[in-house]
Amino acid sequence: MNPFPERVLIRAESLTRTYSLGSIEIVGIQDINLEIPKGELVVLRGVSGSGKSTLLALLGGLDQPTRGRLTVDGHDLQGANPEQLNEYRRNTVGMIFQSFNLLPTLTVMENICLPALLAGKPYHSTRKRALYWLEWLHLTNRVDHYPSQLSGGEMQRTAIIRALINEPAIILADEPTGNLDSGNGNSVMELLAELNRTFGRTVIIATHSSLADPFATFRICLKDGRIAEAAACNV
Amino acid sequence: MQRLIFFLRTMYWFSLRNLRVHPFRVLAVLIGIAMGAAVFTSVRLAVDASMDSFTRTFDLLSGHADSTVVRSGGRVQEDLVATLWPHAAVETASPLISSYVTMAGRDEEPFLMVGLDPILDFPLRSWQIAPSSGDTSRIWFQVVTSPNTLLLSRRLARQLGLGPGQTVTLEHVNQISQFTVVGILEEHGLSLVEGGYVAIADLATMQEFTGLQGWVDRIDLRLKAGATPQDLENLRTMLPPGVRLEAPAETKESGQNMIHAYQLNLSMLSFVSLFVGMFLVYSLVSLNAASRRRELSVLRSLGASSRMIFAIVLCEGLLLGLLGWFMAIPIGSFLVNYLVQGVSSTVTNLFVRVRVENLILNPWEILLSFCVTLFVACVAASRPALLATRIAPREAMILHESAAGVTQSDYRWPLLGLMLIGLSWPLAKLPGLPGFPVAGYVSILCLVIGFSLLCTPVLRWIGSSLPFLLRRIAGEPAFLAARYMRDAGNRTAISVGALVTAMALFVALVIMVHSFRHTVSMWVYQTLAGDFFLRPKMAGINLYQDPLPLKAVEGLKQIRGAEIMPYRHLELRLGKVPFEFEAVPFDSLLRHGQFLLLHGDMGTIKADLVRGNGVLVSEVFMNQAGLGRGQRFQVTLGSTSLDLPILGVFRDYRTRGGIVYADLSRFQALTGDLTWSGARFFFSRPPQDMKEATDRLRAEVLRCCAREHPIEMISGVELRKEILEIFDQTFAVTTVLLLIALVVAGLGITTTLTVLVLERIRQLNTLAAIGAGSGQIRSMIFWEAVLMVITGETIGLVCGFLMAHLLIDVINLQSFGWTFLYVVDWKALLVSLPLILGTALVAALPAVRLVLKSSPALVLKEH
Repeated sequence: MNPFPERVLIRAESLTRTYSLGSIEIVGIQDINLEIPKGELVVLRGVSGSGKSTLLALLGGLDQPTRGRLTVDGHDLQGANPEQLNEYRRNTVGMIFQSFNLLPTLTVMENICLPALLAGKPYHSTRKRALYWLEWLHLTNRVDHYPSQLSGGEMQRTAIIRALINEPAIILADEPTGNLDSGNGNSVMELLAELNRTFGRTVIIATHSSLADPFATFRICLKDGRIAEAAACNV
Repeated sequence: MQRLIFFLRTMYWFSLRNLRVHPFRVLAVLIGIAMGAAVFTSVRLAVDASMDSFTRTFDLLSGHADSTVVRSGGRVQEDLVATLWPHAAVETASPLISSYVTMAGRDEEPFLMVGLDPILDFPLRSWQIAPSSGDTSRIWFQVVTSPNTLLLSRRLARQLGLGPGQTVTLEHVNQISQFTVVGILEEHGLSLVEGGYVAIADLATMQEFTGLQGWVDRIDLRLKAGATPQDLENLRTMLPPGVRLEAPAETKESGQNMIHAYQLNLSMLSFVSLFVGMFLVYSLVSLNAASRRRELSVLRSLGASSRMIFAIVLCEGLLLGLLGWFMAIPIGSFLVNYLVQGVSSTVTNLFVRVRVENLILNPWEILLSFCVTLFVACVAASRPALLATRIAPREAMILHESAAGVTQSDYRWPLLGLMLIGLSWPLAKLPGLPGFPVAGYVSILCLVIGFSLLCTPVLRWIGSSLPFLLRRIAGEPAFLAARYMRDAGNRTAISVGALVTAMALFVALVIMVHSFRHTVSMWVYQTLAGDFFLRPKMAGINLYQDPLPLKAVEGLKQIRGAEIMPYRHLELRLGKVPFEFEAVPFDSLLRHGQFLLLHGDMGTIKADLVRGNGVLVSEVFMNQAGLGRGQRFQVTLGSTSLDLPILGVFRDYRTRGGIVYADLSRFQALTGDLTWSGARFFFSRPPQDMKEATDRLRAEVLRCCAREHPIEMISGVELRKEILEIFDQTFAVTTVLLLIALVVAGLGITTTLTVLVLERIRQLNTLAAIGAGSGQIRSMIFWEAVLMVITGETIGLVCGFLMAHLLIDVINLQSFGWTFLYVVDWKALLVSLPLILGTALVAALPAVRLVLKSSPALVLKEH
């Protein structure tokens, strides 16, 4: 039990997600009990099929649990309706995907600003904020470029800024280095670590890779949809 | 406001830019919509132009008349003016004669000549002599006092090359006379009648020219303000038997109704192109949403609501509709000029005389076309938009976009399709509104949608049952193509549905037109039997108002070598239903020709017909007047009443209403009217050279009768050929509209196949990577096209056969009052099917060329 409950950002109680495919029921995750404090850099490890993506999807509000309870930054995701989930995805969480998922018909700037515009924020102030992050990540010369004109590393950095634009409480990264070479992968991990250290963001990284290990402050291992290990790390 | 700006911004970023990336695909859809919208708008504008011409002529001729005094099948005595004028309710009574005349010795278009009393007519109709003609008062006085003087409208004067002071020789069946043009009319009022081709003369001049001294066509009345229905009743009691008082609008309405029915049928036909275009929009929007599924899921994952996704996809469809409509403007401008001539010519040939000089862009028609196009696009995009809202945000996390997945069987749609097909027949049985077979059209819509919904299970059946057979016939590419058809689901079914619609309509119209032509041909050869026909010149457009002069009749009776069969033709009304009445010697007619009887048996009724103890009515008359076999035909002709039983109903394809045949001797005995409206000749023995025989007869008629009295003559062969040519011309417009619908459907095939190739580019390149040759892969795409087209053609064929029944037995019956024999032109169908298949395969070429455009290694690496 965390002695400082107000510091708990994510609380999961008996969290379960199952999928029905005809008569077959597939268990994504089962009976997950978890508390993640604010400001941690969490590395979520597990082999393919262990439930990492399922857990991440639930944390990101992209999916809803079948059973159990999930509270993130005070939002009860189990009982949320579609509008509430939309709001949650806009304002509370920022997602970074393995395949970047930039919209090909939008420029770098437009991709970055999109979540803020969806949240109803004015374009001009959003653009200013975006320029700040673009400068921090050395992408100002790519502002008007389309994703097809970027390298993998540049695309992922764009995706990271997109995830940050609404200043969410939590950044979720699903295999952020999966489509990158080791050099770019290292850079991305350092970026995420910097976001955690300098800007105090809670970052959760689901990954096979060991690149994130040096930066992790909290480690969760999943196996067969259950938590095999969940503990703070000595950084 | 901010939300709107954001939405428009997102639309631009997400949709418009994507459309720009695929210009050919978008262009194909836009062209389809543009063609559909252009056809729909042009057809309506073209028919509107004819309607406008007819209505304007009628309104200008009616002027400010409140009522008109007419006599069924005849003329009104001029001295009735003196009887009616003193009535307290009558402000003015103006007699009028109008007749189409033509210039003697020149092959000019006939024009309308109006005879009126300039003084009595002044309050009713406006016309003005142009000051450029000279002293207008003097000219006016000349018209009133000098015989054989004329005023010409400006356009007519220009066409005939005549000016004030010049003379012109005009022909009327009564005589050929020379007239002096004393002035040109200003372009307003009466001078705008018939597209501005009209001549005005004094009533006395007209009476002398037409031999109608003491008679007029009608007397128009303008009533005083405050005239009551009682006053009208009083006026009616003052009229002699057979003469009636009617509103000018009554005759106008019947003409308008005929044009309306034609407009409606053409509009429905032209709407098909737009309907097929709807499939194109559905196809593109649906395929866009499917191929950008991941992007839509990313939008959802970033916080876009499902409402927003719906709006984006729907607006994409609306945008295609809007752009397509704007593209339709130049296409429509070109098409409408072609259609105006074709349509006005058809309306004149079939219904009422119209002369379209100016095309008026009716803003309501433009608005209607705009709204219908957008509505169609909206309907088309609504389902893909709805499906797009079901894309889960979780899909954004899926690493590899799955290949166009296997579509699970959904029995609901085919079941709905079967229900709609089943519903179509009972729906068709419901009565329609007068001239508007609404139930018939809804029934056709159910049939088309029903059959289109069967595309998916048929494609699935092909994919499940035929692959191994296809493999044996055409190898692995055909096998793979069939398997893909099984799994592709709605993605291909939509375009096949478009082809089903176009194909069904094509088949239905081929059958309908052939059936119609076959039956008309039988009618023309049996009911319109005769080796030679004659009637007063321009009798047709003058509605047989003037019989053959007595001298001409006496001359005709002397002709030997052919049996002469005279007839008396009158244009009558039964209540508000106009019809033609023809008195013929039945014994002569039935010896040489036949009636295509629907009800009644000629063996049983012939004797009564010959004795004049009954009449035959046409199917159209029966349906419009509600009088059939066993009921009585009662009509007043002058001071006589005709009251005879209806002995039979026959098929007839005159287009200006129904017709009633009675025996001539009985008619003459009852009415005392011994005049002839025309005559048919039958050679006693079939001549060796028909042309030579009819030329000799023509020369003889000219010699005996036609020098002083212009008479129209035509051989039976020429008449029947002309009727069938008019028939073919009438359906030329229909054929053009149909071909456009097929082209639009072909565009649908192109779009679908192209997008499906792009969607599967990874799979296709994987095939290449594992050893498939480029020829084999291209062959696979071709086989997919073949299977889609064969499915569309087959389902469309079945649908078309059923639709033909609806067109013949329901639409035609409720629109025009007739039916015809159902006869299939197998030859035309069998020739056209492979042609359509070939054309559709050509439509597959762009997709085939796309395959393996890039290196497989590159494509697979990128994915």
